[in-house]
Amino acid sequence: MATATREVYWNIEGEPWLYLLLIIALVIFSYGVYKRVILWKLGQPENRWKDVGQGVKDVIVYGLFHKRILKDPYPGLMHLGLFVGFVFLAFATAMITLQADFAMRIFHGWLYLFIKLTSNLFGLIALLAIMAFAYRRYIQRPDRLDNTPDDAITLALLFTILVTGFVIQGVRIAAVPDPWAAWAFVGQWMAIPLKAIFNQAQLLSLHRFLWWFHLVLAMTFIAYFSHSKLFHILLGLANQFLRKRGPIGIPDPIDFEDESLETFGKSQLREFSWKALFNTDACIRCGRCQDNCPAYLSGKHLNPKKIIQDMKVLMEETGAEVAETKKASVTQVAGQEAAAASEPEEWAGRALIGEVIPEQDLWACTTCRSCEQQCPIFVEHVDKTIDMRRNLVLMETRFPAEAQLAFRNMENNGNPWGIGWSTRADFLTSLGVKTFEEDPEAEYLYWPGCAGAFDARNQKVSAALVKLLQAAGVHFAILGNEEKCCGDSARKLGNEYLFFSLATENIEVMKGHGVKKIITQCPHCFNMLKNEYPQLGGDFEVIHHTVFLLDLVKSGKLKLSKSAGKSITYHDSCYLGRYNGIYEQPRELLKAVGLEIKEMAHTGEKSFCCGAGGGRMWLEENEGQRINEMRTDEAIAVKTDYVGTACPFCLTMIGDGIAAREVGEQLKALDIAEILEKSI
Amino acid sequence: MAKGIYIIVEQRDLKIRKVSLELLSQGRKIADETGETLVAVVLGHGIEGLAQTVAASGADKVILIDDEKLAEYTTGAYTSVLNKLIRKEEPEAVLMGNTAVGKDLAPRLAQRLGVGLASDCTGMESEEKNFLSFKRPIYAGKAFAYLTSNVRPIMATIRPNTFKADAPDASRQAEIVTEIAEIDTTDLSAILKEVAISASKRPDLTEANIIVSGGRGMKGPENYGMLEELADVIGAAVGASRAAVDSGWKEHKFQVGQTGKTVAPTLYIACGISGAIQHLAGMGSSKFIVAINKDPEANIFNVADYGIVGDLFEVVPLLTQEFKKLVNE
Repeated sequence: MATATREVYWNIEGEPWLYLLLIIALVIFSYGVYKRVILWKLGQPENRWKDVGQGVKDVIVYGLFHKRILKDPYPGLMHLGLFVGFVFLAFATAMITLQADFAMRIFHGWLYLFIKLTSNLFGLIALLAIMAFAYRRYIQRPDRLDNTPDDAITLALLFTILVTGFVIQGVRIAAVPDPWAAWAFVGQWMAIPLKAIFNQAQLLSLHRFLWWFHLVLAMTFIAYFSHSKLFHILLGLANQFLRKRGPIGIPDPIDFEDESLETFGKSQLREFSWKALFNTDACIRCGRCQDNCPAYLSGKHLNPKKIIQDMKVLMEETGAEVAETKKASVTQVAGQEAAAASEPEEWAGRALIGEVIPEQDLWACTTCRSCEQQCPIFVEHVDKTIDMRRNLVLMETRFPAEAQLAFRNMENNGNPWGIGWSTRADFLTSLGVKTFEEDPEAEYLYWPGCAGAFDARNQKVSAALVKLLQAAGVHFAILGNEEKCCGDSARKLGNEYLFFSLATENIEVMKGHGVKKIITQCPHCFNMLKNEYPQLGGDFEVIHHTVFLLDLVKSGKLKLSKSAGKSITYHDSCYLGRYNGIYEQPRELLKAVGLEIKEMAHTGEKSFCCGAGGGRMWLEENEGQRINEMRTDEAIAVKTDYVGTACPFCLTMIGDGIAAREVGEQLKALDIAEILEKSI
Repeated sequence: MAKGIYIIVEQRDLKIRKVSLELLSQGRKIADETGETLVAVVLGHGIEGLAQTVAASGADKVILIDDEKLAEYTTGAYTSVLNKLIRKEEPEAVLMGNTAVGKDLAPRLAQRLGVGLASDCTGMESEEKNFLSFKRPIYAGKAFAYLTSNVRPIMATIRPNTFKADAPDASRQAEIVTEIAEIDTTDLSAILKEVAISASKRPDLTEANIIVSGGRGMKGPENYGMLEELADVIGAAVGASRAAVDSGWKEHKFQVGQTGKTVAPTLYIACGISGAIQHLAGMGSSKFIVAINKDPEANIFNVADYGIVGDLFEVVPLLTQEFKKLVNE
C-alpha cells in the first residue's frame, strides 16, 4: 500500500505570509499577556510555587481529566468535547508543523491516518460542543451565565474555524481523489455536494480562499487569546497548579506582635496578593459558585461570581490609574525614576468595601465553601471575604450590631452566649466526667465546645456521646472550666484579635496538660483545632465524634443493635464535609444501626448550608428567605422519620426550621450520637 | 473657699428624673462630709415649682434658669448656658446622670471648659487629695478604675441606679436663685421643632423593671393583647422571642435575645417561650424569672425561679385578674 499522506500546502502559494501573520499574532498575544501581568503585579507578593509535584498532579486531574468540570454533567461533557477536540487538533497541527517547518518526515502512514481520523471525529465533537454551548447560552439562558460580546465573538470564532477546516478538507477531497478519504469521513461526506456544485477551477480557488481565511481566523485566535475569555485555557490550568494547599477558607494569621503592621485585614485591592488578583482573571464566569451559594439562592444580594468579577473590574481601574500616575510623574519630572508601583498607595477611586462590594454582601457569607468546592479552577472566594471582614471589625468597627454581643460574651466568659465561665464544666461533671486536673492520665481530651457544655439541646448530644464513650471503655477527660470557645465564630467574623487571644489560651492550657488527642462533636471546633490551631503552634490529633464512633464500632469496642423500620436523611455539615472530606463515616454509622438513608436534593459536596457558619449563627437574617428554612424544606421533601446531623449549629438551625414549618410531629432532628445511643 | 458641688438636674415635662434625685442624695452625703455646698442647677421653662422638690432632696442652693429656649433639651442652648454659668460660678465639681442628655451634654461641656470627664461612673466618694474619687468599669467590666481629677471643675456623669434616692425632706429650705439664660446664638445650630412621642406609654424594654414576654406558644399576633393587659396592670414592658418576631407577630424592636435586646429586669415573665439558649442570652441576668409553658420539659424551667406548667391562655388571664385585685388594694 502506498504510504498514506497528503501534500502539505497543496494548492497554496505564499506560505511565507503565514509566518508574518504568525509573528503579528504572537506580538499581539504577548502584549495581551503583558497587560494582564502588570495588573496581577499590582498585588502583594505571595509564594505559590511550592509543591510543584502536587501542582502537576492537580493540572492532570482537574485540567486534563476535568474532574470538577464533569461534576455538572451537561456543560461538563460539552466542555470535555471541545477540550478533547482542541487537544487532537492541536496535536495534528503540531505534527504538521514538525513536518513543514522542522523537516521531520512524520506526517504519513499510521500517524497520518490517526491524525485524519481523530481530527475528524473529535473535530466534529468539538463543533457539536460549540453549537451546544451556543444553544445553552443563548436559547436556554441559565441564570448563572451572563453574556458579554466576548462570549459571542469567541463562540463565533471557534465555530467558523472548525467549519472552515472541515470545508477545506471537503473541497480538497472533492478536487483531488484521496485514497484515504474514508478516514477523513466528514470531509468525504462534504465532498459530495461540493463536487456537485462547483467545477474543478472553482474548487481550487475556493480551497485557496478558505485556506487563507481559516489561517487568518487561526491567527486571530492566537492574537485574541490573551485579550479574551480564551485566556482561561492557560490561566485556569495555572490556577489549578497554584491552588492553595494550606488550611482552606481562611487567610493567613495576623502577627499581632509585629509592630510595623499599620492596618489589619484588607480594604484595598492592592493589599491582596498577586494570586488573589490572578484569581479574578482566571475566573471564566461559569457561575457554578453562584448556583451553589446558599446566600444567593436564598435571595441575598451576595453573589460569589459577582464579587470576583467586580474585583476584576476594580483591578483594571486600579491598573489604569497607576498607569496614569506613572505617565504623569514621568512627564512631570523628566529623568527621574517613576514612582515604585509595588507599594499600595492612597487609592482615590471606588472603594473596594462599600462601593465595589456592598458591606452587607460580606456579612451574608456563611463560609460554607460551596463556591470554592464547585469551582473547577479553584478560585478562592472565602478567604477574601474574611480578610475584608477583618478590616471592618479590627479597623473600622463597622459590623452588625448583634456581633458585638457575641464578641463581648466570648471575651468575658469564653462563650458567645455570655453564660458564666465558671459553670462550663457543670453539666459534664454531673454526668460523672472527670477533668484533666482530676484525671491527668486520660488518653483523650473530650472537647464538648460551647454548645456541648451550655446549650440545653446540645447537652443531650454530649450526654449521648459520653454514654457511648463510656460503654466502649474510652479513657477520656475534659478541660472543664479551663476550656474556652475555640474561636471559630470570632475568626470567621473577622475578629482575628479575639480569636488570637482565645486560641493562644486554649493551646497553652492543652499543652500544659500534655493533651495529644482530642475528640469533639462540633465540626467548627474540629476544623479549628485540627486545621487552624497549628498556625498558632497547637498541634494535636483531632477526631470528630462520628469518625471516632465508627472506629469504635468497626473495632468491636462499641456494639450496636439494629433498629429496623426508620428512615433518615443525613445533612452534611459544611465544616465536616467540604472542609474536611468527612461524608461517608456518619452514613456508615447510620447504616450500622439499620436506618434507611435517603438523600436530600443537595448532598455530599453540594450539601446546602444550614446558614449558621461564618459567625452567622449570632447575626440576624434580614434579606430574602431563611437559609435554614430552605434546607429544612429539602429535608421535609425527602419524607423520612429523622434528619441526622453531626453539628450543634446544624442541629439548632434545622430544629428551628422544623419548628417554623410546624412539622415537629413528622420529622425529628437528631445528632448521630443521639441516634447511636438509642441502639447500644 | 468652698465653691460648691453642682448637680445638673435633669427634668422632662416638669418631672425630675430619678437619677438627679439619686445624685442629690449622694451629693448631700459628700457635702456634709466635706463642708461643701450642694447646688442644684435646673434648666427649663416654667420650672419654679421644681425648686422645692430639689431643695427637699438635699440641695443647699437651687439655681433656676428659666427660658423659653430651654423648654426642651437642645445641645446648643444647654451647653451655652451651662458653660457661661460654670465659668461665672467656678464650682468645685459638676455632676449629672449618664442619661441620653448627660451623654450628649457632659462631654461637650467638659471640652468647652477644658477639663476631663469621668463618664458612666458607678461610684463616687469624697477623697482627700483631690476632693472626689469616681469608680468606673473598664475593659467591658473586667476591672474598675478609680479616677480623680486635679483640674477644676471636676466633671463626671453617674450611671442611673448607682445611688439610692433618699426620701425627700419637705421641711428643707434652700436658697433659690434665678439666673438669666445667656444663650450664644451661634450655639443654636439646631432648633427643636417637634417632639413625636412614641405611641406606647409602656416603659422602654431595656429600662423596664418588669417584662412580660411572649414566644412561639402565643400562636398568633392577636393573642398579644392578653400580655399587654397583664403588662398594663403591673406596669411592665412587653417583649417577644425571636420565634414570635420571625413569624411576624411582633416587630423586631420587641425581640429579646442574642440578636435582639439584652434586658436585665427585676422580673421577667416568659409566656410560651421554650427557653432556647439564644433567648436566655438576652434575659438570663433577670433577677427573677417566671415561666409559663405547657411543656414540662421546656428548658425555660431550668432557669426560672417560678414555673407554671399550664396553658398560658388560661394562666395569663388568671394572673391579670389576681394582680388587678392586688393593685386595687
